[in-house]
Amino acid sequence: MWLPPLAPSIVLLGLFVAGPILWCFYAAFTNSALSGISARRPKFVGIDNFTTAFTSSDVASSLWLTVVFVLLSAVVGQNGLGILLAVFLQQRGKLLRGIVGTVVVAAWVLPEVVAAFAIYAFLNAQGTLNEVLGWFGMGQNWLYTAPMLAVVLANIWRGTAFSMLVYQAALSEVPSDLVEAAQVDGAGPLRRFWHVVLPVIRRTVVTNLMLITLQTLGVFGLIYVLTAGGPDNKTRTLPLLMYEQAFKFGQIGYGTAIALVLLVLGAVFSLVYIRSLKAEV
Amino acid sequence: MRGPRLVVNLVLLVVAVLFVAPLLWLVTASFDTHGGLAAKVPGEATLGNFGQILNWEVGGRPLVNGLLISSGTAIIAVVVAVLAAYPLSRFQLRFRRPFLYTILFTTGLPVTAIMVPVYGLFVRLSLVDSLWGTTVFLAATALPMAIWMCKNFMDGIPISLEEAAWVDGASSLQALRSIVLPLMAPGVAVVGIFTFITAWGNFFVPFVLLLDPDKMPASVGIFSFFGQNGLVAYGQLAAYSILYTAPVLGLYLVVSRWLGGGFSMAGAVKA
Amino acid sequence: MRARTIAAGLAVAALTLPLAACGGGDAASGDAKTIKIVYRNYSDFPQMDTFMKSVKKEFEAANPGITAQLTPVSSLDSDYLAKVQLMQRSPSTAPDVLFEDSFNVNADAAAGYLLPIDDYLNKWPDWNSQFIPTTKQAGRAVDGKTYAVPMGTDSRGLWFNKDVFAKAGLPTDWQPRTWNDVLDAARKIKQTQPDVEPMYMPLGKPAAEAMSMQSLEMLLYGTPTKDLYDEKAGKWVAPSKGFEDALGYVQTVMKENLAQTAAQAEDTQWAQTQMPLLMSQGKIGFMMDGGWYARYWEPGGVAPWADWSKTLGTTKFPTQNGQAPGNVTLSGGWTLAVGASTGNADASVKFIQTALNKENSAAIDVACSWLPVREDVKADSRLAQKDPTEPFWSSLVSFTRYRPTLPEYPQVSNAMDVAGDSVVNGGEPAKAAQQFAQDVSKAVGADKVKTG
Repeated sequence: MWLPPLAPSIVLLGLFVAGPILWCFYAAFTNSALSGISARRPKFVGIDNFTTAFTSSDVASSLWLTVVFVLLSAVVGQNGLGILLAVFLQQRGKLLRGIVGTVVVAAWVLPEVVAAFAIYAFLNAQGTLNEVLGWFGMGQNWLYTAPMLAVVLANIWRGTAFSMLVYQAALSEVPSDLVEAAQVDGAGPLRRFWHVVLPVIRRTVVTNLMLITLQTLGVFGLIYVLTAGGPDNKTRTLPLLMYEQAFKFGQIGYGTAIALVLLVLGAVFSLVYIRSLKAEV
Repeated sequence: MRGPRLVVNLVLLVVAVLFVAPLLWLVTASFDTHGGLAAKVPGEATLGNFGQILNWEVGGRPLVNGLLISSGTAIIAVVVAVLAAYPLSRFQLRFRRPFLYTILFTTGLPVTAIMVPVYGLFVRLSLVDSLWGTTVFLAATALPMAIWMCKNFMDGIPISLEEAAWVDGASSLQALRSIVLPLMAPGVAVVGIFTFITAWGNFFVPFVLLLDPDKMPASVGIFSFFGQNGLVAYGQLAAYSILYTAPVLGLYLVVSRWLGGGFSMAGAVKA
Repeated sequence: MRARTIAAGLAVAALTLPLAACGGGDAASGDAKTIKIVYRNYSDFPQMDTFMKSVKKEFEAANPGITAQLTPVSSLDSDYLAKVQLMQRSPSTAPDVLFEDSFNVNADAAAGYLLPIDDYLNKWPDWNSQFIPTTKQAGRAVDGKTYAVPMGTDSRGLWFNKDVFAKAGLPTDWQPRTWNDVLDAARKIKQTQPDVEPMYMPLGKPAAEAMSMQSLEMLLYGTPTKDLYDEKAGKWVAPSKGFEDALGYVQTVMKENLAQTAAQAEDTQWAQTQMPLLMSQGKIGFMMDGGWYARYWEPGGVAPWADWSKTLGTTKFPTQNGQAPGNVTLSGGWTLAVGASTGNADASVKFIQTALNKENSAAIDVACSWLPVREDVKADSRLAQKDPTEPFWSSLVSFTRYRPTLPEYPQVSNAMDVAGDSVVNGGEPAKAAQQFAQDVSKAVGADKVKTG
């Protein structure tokens, strides 16, 4: 009864997503490579790749950078700015709503490469931002002096639209009589938001956090075009480290082990969110 | 209340300016004969950059390929996701939550992580260099988000309407088609656009799975403007970027207008 | 319950297919009538496409009934490698003829991707009489068999701007004898022309292999340590005094602001975009790089510069203290190889023999500003006509060295990059060299390193 409609998704997901991921679980325990002798005869190496990963300062620093990137750009940046914009736009005129909405969404619908190169040009030493800051004598090469800040800002710029749209939808479902009642009781805007609106949209907040966290964990192209993980590996998050190991050095086994670390990190974040949902309700 | 109102408007305007600033360069450089990296009024305005790229090889075929791949991806993903969403939304299934969360976890993995086994799989299935194969694969990777969103949209439609149809003797599939789908059309459009945009921007998947340069979509084509040991033709890169962005921006505007001015995510995201 | 069983069955079937697919063993495409030619085509490198199209015509006319199917890969170098290696993993998509960096021949031969072609080559008169013996190294793997035929080679040294040198009171027939001579020249330029960046050399994470090969190995090979890999002992040399000195050179250059800034070095686009432009504007005193820049400055190149051959001088890069042999250069270059799973090895080799006969070999060397690998091409007057510096770069081949392109070289090279990059960003050479030794030992195994 429930199976026939689910079958196409099970087949597609099993074949093209779950299957390859399972292969990754297998490959992570081999020294499989793109070239060289281990490309012909990959050997089972047990947990070698994982011991290398966990004793490597590279993986540790990439793991840390990934967490920082996710917390700053997704949890704080996209989520915070998204909710702020949604609230601020609530009772604005059509014109302002239209302008702000379109501009924020434009950054989101841009193809990744275009977005990445546009923000690269913007933050570059010869770019627009420095031209403007130069008038105040504040010009500097952001991609070099503050690379993590640069990629965080880039990801906020690119991804805030998603959270904004989600929160606009959620706010429209908050019963207006609740808010009005609180207003009659003399609650200021901040208190109203905290005590009335937030409890109603709490589930949306948590779910949105989970979605943007997962989307941000996998961000590759944006960082690759902006900094390629540099300078001095200060923006080399796990997806970049994985790509470097697997495709630049052809170390598929080791690269795959790093990918699994990323998968686990995503699961940890998600479990925290799911737990917090259960605790609330 | 005038004070805060002004502050809020000001904040919104500042955000709008900050968001639009990185895009200005695309526009100015595309009309500039000697475009650099900063946005400025072109010293020597030209349409030459567009002239350079408006030919079938550079600006034509890659866009058509991209349209074929991305719309195919969106259609497949939407159809499959709506079908899957139905039982997930309407039946009390014990594995529903684990199923949804598990497929959602996979969205945290960059697609580069699985391209090696996927390539092997495509060889086995004789799908390498096939537009169809690439499209179906992109649809599969889009499914987790698409199913999640469709299921939530469907949850927002009261089951009582279908029950009435069942009483009249309609099957589940008929009820889905004639009652649920029309009501969740805006949601379906949102999922479709979301999938389309993601596929439209995907570089790595078509680059790896296709061989024939004549089949490559615009997301791969754009990389030919990034020189490696030579100068980047900034003007042409910017012009191509605009050409390459136009379809998604247009699609978004058309659909959001059709949805009544709002690209509503209402109900798309719930636990 | 039945539904659940079917679902489980579906899932298992869907999951096991890709696993089985990766077990390999799929048969070769085996179409003897068609050979697939894979090469890189890109906006910065259109010459290969033009070349292959003309070779295809010639080949098909001479071999009726056989089709040469051109499969250009549009990408940057690094992506080309990843894609080609994926294609090679599966016999049915593996190329018959492959445009291959000499850098990968060893690894791809060890992986079983390439066909040894000694038997064919030994019967090819040109191979025995015309190909310059030292350049044949490019296609020979550590097992002693030949897997690829070189198309052209290159060499590295110093390009310097005579105008800048004249203003700095430096000789316009510059011939530095030691590293210090080079650094002193940079210092003089800095004192006399503050708006000129004294020198450029590939540095920073984005430079990747260019930093390890063209900067660090050029320096290392000029120290008494001399080697990155000791062929006799079969061991990698790490840690070594020479490598630490090479890093020390980089530190001096960065600390005294003699080269590009660290920010420019870390910019993902700067070296490709701003640097050649600055060079043509006389904003850079000299650069330590390859001899192939002519093609960018020629009319129709990406940065046309009419006076480049008058303004620029070329000179050899010295050893650390001027010790024998006095100068250092390194070579790489591109080759054509035959895929191991080809369905028609005869035709594939014939295609290579057509592509690299006297006429065509000269054509591609002229088009790409590569140095000839055939004696009869060396004499071709078009080379020096097109690029007046070609005889100079060609003369360096007599004492050139190749990289130790063993399968683990990419990881060693990366370890060099990590060390170099940390010094570019203010790290201490001693500490970076120590880290380098640890990384190398981890990558190749502790039994395969020696101290130098």
